Amino acid sequence: MTDQTRPVSPAFAHASEAEMARILDFYGIAWEYEPHTFPILWNLDGDVVESFSPDFYLAELDLYLEMTTLRQKLVRKKNRKLRRLRELYPDVRIKLFYARDFRALMLKYGKLALADALTGTAGQAAPPDDLPSEHIAEPEPAAAPALEADLEAEPASSATMRRTASRRRRRRKAAAAAGAPTHPPDRPGNE
Amino acid sequence: MQTKPDLTSDIGEILLTEDEIQAKVAELGARISDDYAGKRLTLVSVLKGSLPFMADLMRAISIPVRIDLMEVSSYGGTTTESSGLVRILKDLSASIAGEDVLIVEDIIDTGLTLNYLIRYLRGKNPATLRICTLLDKPARRLVDIPVDYTGFTIPDQFVVGYGLDYGEIYRNLRFVGVLRREVYASGAEG
Repeated sequence: MTDQTRPVSPAFAHASEAEMARILDFYGIAWEYEPHTFPILWNLDGDVVESFSPDFYLAELDLYLEMTTLRQKLVRKKNRKLRRLRELYPDVRIKLFYARDFRALMLKYGKLALADALTGTAGQAAPPDDLPSEHIAEPEPAAAPALEADLEAEPASSATMRRTASRRRRRRKAAAAAGAPTHPPDRPGNE
Repeated sequence: MQTKPDLTSDIGEILLTEDEIQAKVAELGARISDDYAGKRLTLVSVLKGSLPFMADLMRAISIPVRIDLMEVSSYGGTTTESSGLVRILKDLSASIAGEDVLIVEDIIDTGLTLNYLIRYLRGKNPATLRICTLLDKPARRLVDIPVDYTGFTIPDQFVVGYGLDYGEIYRNLRFVGVLRREVYASGAEG
């Protein structure tokens, strides 16, 4: 059921997200906006240095929705984050909604002109200071990853990334030997 | 002399011919007749798109059936702006409590409308509730819904005909075709 007690709409990062929220409301699908953040990369000290907050969580469907109606460069970045998320959290069900998916949805509802107005940078809200990291343009990794999925993440020197991967493997082994839960970490707020 | 508008010129590709559709409908009708033999089946058609499919399917079923019609508002329609919630525009005309009910759909893509309908109809306590769709477009699915009878699984293209419309047009085509991009692209500009 739709959460009728929701006091105000959240500050959506993109107008297409607000439109999706209206569609979900219309069909009585309860949603939460960016309720969970999934760490996807840690530094040498084990601190989270990159995370992913999918746009919507549909609790009754146990499904996350991520809208990617932005620039191609950001789509590539989101694709990479999504691959990482799926590797680390294989039980999490997430659907990526590309610009073409959004256009198709708007076409179905006879609102294609609106889709054109909402797609891409034109539909972006003015970025607040605390905008989630995945909404901020960042440079893509300069070189294709070679070792393992860790190397797909944030730009860093290959040597640093190899050290990170190696150190994390050692940490996982040690934790496993101690009987501690290892990887992936708990889903924040979703237990 | 005025030229008659030709709907078929707006079609880029015929995806399913009339013969293919009729053969599939006959096959579905036979399966449904077998599965529901000895039972009391009610077909619920969801207006408007499933009308041709319903008309053909019910005649391809050999067991006694009751039929009923429903219509729900679609997102973006003129009736939705005030409430922002889906509305039942036409409800069932008879009770389905204790009945075996088969929802007859023209197409399932996002599954949002069907998900709403299933929840609504379950509240009317049918004995069983199953789904039959002529077309399934799984690439667009948001809500996973188990479909009991599927005619064709189609690619991710905007299709019209055999009940399916764009701006209420093309429903009367006897085939299912892919609408040319220029048709709806020009509409978006206006």
